[in-house]
Amino acid sequence: MSDTDVTDTDVSEPDAGDAAEADPRHIAAVATLADVLGEAMLDHHSQRGELWVRVHHDSWQRAGYALRDDLGCRWFDFLSAIDWLPSPFGRDMDAEQDWPTSGPPARDTTITHGVAGGETRLQIFARAAAVEGNPGGGNLAVTLKADLPNENPAIETWIPVYAGANWHEREAWEMFGIAFIGHPDLRHIYLPGEFEGHPLRKDFPLLARRVKPWPGLVDVEDMPSTDEPRS
Amino acid sequence: MGLVESGKMPAPLTKLLNIGRKYSLWVYQWGLACCAIEMGAAFGSPRYDVMRLGVIPFPASPRQADLVVVSGTVTDKMVPSILRLYEQMPDPKYVISMGSCANCGGPYWDSYSVTKGIDQIIPVDVYVPGCPPRPEALLEGIVLLQERIANEDMTARWKGDPIVVG
Amino acid sequence: MSVTEREQRAFIAAAAADARVNVELETEGMTLNIGPQHPATHGTLRIIARLDGEQVVAAEPVMGYMHRGYEKLAEVRTYPQVTTLINRIDWLGSFANEVPFILAAEQLMEVEVPPRAAWIRTILFELSRLANIALFLGDMGVQLGALTPVFFAFRDREFVLNQIEAVTGGRFHPNFDRIGGLKDDLPKGWIEETRGVMVKMRTFCDELEDLLMGNEIFEARTRGVGVIPADIALSYGLSGANLRASGVDWDMRRDNPCGLVYDQLDWKVWTHPDGDSFARYWVRLQETREATYMVEQMLDGLPAGPVMAKVPVIIKVPAGEAYVATENPLGVMGYYVVSKGDLGPFRVKIRSASFNNISVTPWVMRGVYVPDVITILASLYFILGDIDR
Repeated sequence: MSDTDVTDTDVSEPDAGDAAEADPRHIAAVATLADVLGEAMLDHHSQRGELWVRVHHDSWQRAGYALRDDLGCRWFDFLSAIDWLPSPFGRDMDAEQDWPTSGPPARDTTITHGVAGGETRLQIFARAAAVEGNPGGGNLAVTLKADLPNENPAIETWIPVYAGANWHEREAWEMFGIAFIGHPDLRHIYLPGEFEGHPLRKDFPLLARRVKPWPGLVDVEDMPSTDEPRS
Repeated sequence: MGLVESGKMPAPLTKLLNIGRKYSLWVYQWGLACCAIEMGAAFGSPRYDVMRLGVIPFPASPRQADLVVVSGTVTDKMVPSILRLYEQMPDPKYVISMGSCANCGGPYWDSYSVTKGIDQIIPVDVYVPGCPPRPEALLEGIVLLQERIANEDMTARWKGDPIVVG
Repeated sequence: MSVTEREQRAFIAAAAADARVNVELETEGMTLNIGPQHPATHGTLRIIARLDGEQVVAAEPVMGYMHRGYEKLAEVRTYPQVTTLINRIDWLGSFANEVPFILAAEQLMEVEVPPRAAWIRTILFELSRLANIALFLGDMGVQLGALTPVFFAFRDREFVLNQIEAVTGGRFHPNFDRIGGLKDDLPKGWIEETRGVMVKMRTFCDELEDLLMGNEIFEARTRGVGVIPADIALSYGLSGANLRASGVDWDMRRDNPCGLVYDQLDWKVWTHPDGDSFARYWVRLQETREATYMVEQMLDGLPAGPVMAKVPVIIKVPAGEAYVATENPLGVMGYYVVSKGDLGPFRVKIRSASFNNISVTPWVMRGVYVPDVITILASLYFILGDIDR
């Protein structure tokens, strides 16, 4: 992990990606993906030994094949999604009864995206790694991202690429309401069949928190000998 | 058994019957989460050796059990199964709720999928707090349950308040 | 074994499974429900198996009986509070669950951990591996009808738990790892005691090797049962001993130690080419023994110094995304942490090993006999909390 310490030296640099991008494997991988996908590769980012590539959602399955066949990332790690909308409930640190009259304060709901950018609210990401034939030498691992349309989010399934994506896609469907085109059985995986809503969407409320005051708001007390400045 | 149900059993006979029940508690292990391992340590390991208390942890089916230990997180998806197996147990039956999750939801008090307390669906005799409780705590819960059985008036079986260890 | 040969073998295995199911005496189908509460399912996994006579035509695991919603709960907790929760994902090796999350938070905060903290972390990491795998080694015997090993496992596991408790104060859920180091240093006399425990654990491994390896029943029920070829294992994302038992020489501890000190130790990654249930048991047994040697080396080389770096009292993690995975007892466990500079994470994706490991069961259970279902489940070794999260 020689490229982790790069970030130590340029803390002030807002985007530490430039320095870490010296990893030749990442440069080669990005070049290969750009070759195969062309316009569909939208953005990429490299930091602390990790490589993120954002692709267009129409080319999601094609990008998966490129990852597996052209980059040799045959080990499927995970597939999930993220809802970039800031939670309308804040961090749920205070219940409704904390503002008996005024109602909750206004929340900023501007969407800001993470590394490798983004355009819409829901983003799917998946990671695969090349694990064979290089014992002791570290692995090339790529996290692919794709933006999903705001209306009726749907994307191609990865099951033909990585068989293990089956359950991950069921999970993403259940948690975010993302449809996977071509998935043979999109059913509830964790929750009972009659469950309504998609829990990991930010606008899904945790009801217990809405009705009870949050007991752990102040959980850090001054230690007797602490003379550190409080941040 | 008509005598027991009518509540007109002579006191010495009740006592004798209670001693018999107290020292042959067949316990069905409903292990769900982390607590299941501590329950396994209490019931299955040589160090804690629950059988010296007259508790037999072997029934493969709730139909043979007097006592069920619900240990671990109960989710809304699991509740119907728990209710069904509880209803299969013959009376008189006892329930030990082991661990914070089974008692009240524990660290998942705000989760969307966890049932906040097994006592919402079945009556609980002994609550053992802890996350997870040590095996000794479960053993103490069993001893307290045995005391309760020893002094039990069969007719008032369901009238007593739950016991809290600790 | 070359790749082509391996692929060929996979094809033959799949074809044989289809042929066995379809050609033999066709009886009326039957659906067998195993679980959700069944001793062989380590908790609350439910398997719905369609049977043709004694053979499984299709098996489908049903999860979710232990789903507690970690990823949602992590979004409404602060960073130090999250470690309390994630202890309970894989409840047999709790300390190992904390480490990747803390490492990810440290990467985002760019905190350098003192060397002593990194070493003690690694020691506790390996101790939780011992506590975890020891139970598997005994439990596998129980699933196959040998009751003795599990008593041995519970007996000797207590010694490891005692050592973990002596440091952290918790037998199960230590919650000992902090962003920037550890809560406390080792207690006095702990190092010597741990050496003794490592010797005991090696004796335990030897005992189990005597009891089970070479035992005719054990071999007959595990050899050739539940073969997972390497390419299937890779595409399903299997990890840990399950992947190494299929002949893939890959271990996160060696290839990407990521803040832990495995690169300074002398140790070996064990693999087995067969990919069957026996191979998975054998690899885990060797790994347990290897872990005791690793702990001994770390006890010898433990550097002096503080165990906590300077971090602010109230922890705010700068905005960014980090993914850190470590080789946990059950396999690769990773946390994808997205921070927005707040007190708590914006999103945490928990990549747990058992979820991927168990997703291969519909594939591997085609055409096996009913008792083999139990063998395969036991040898894949999962913890329900690690599947459902």
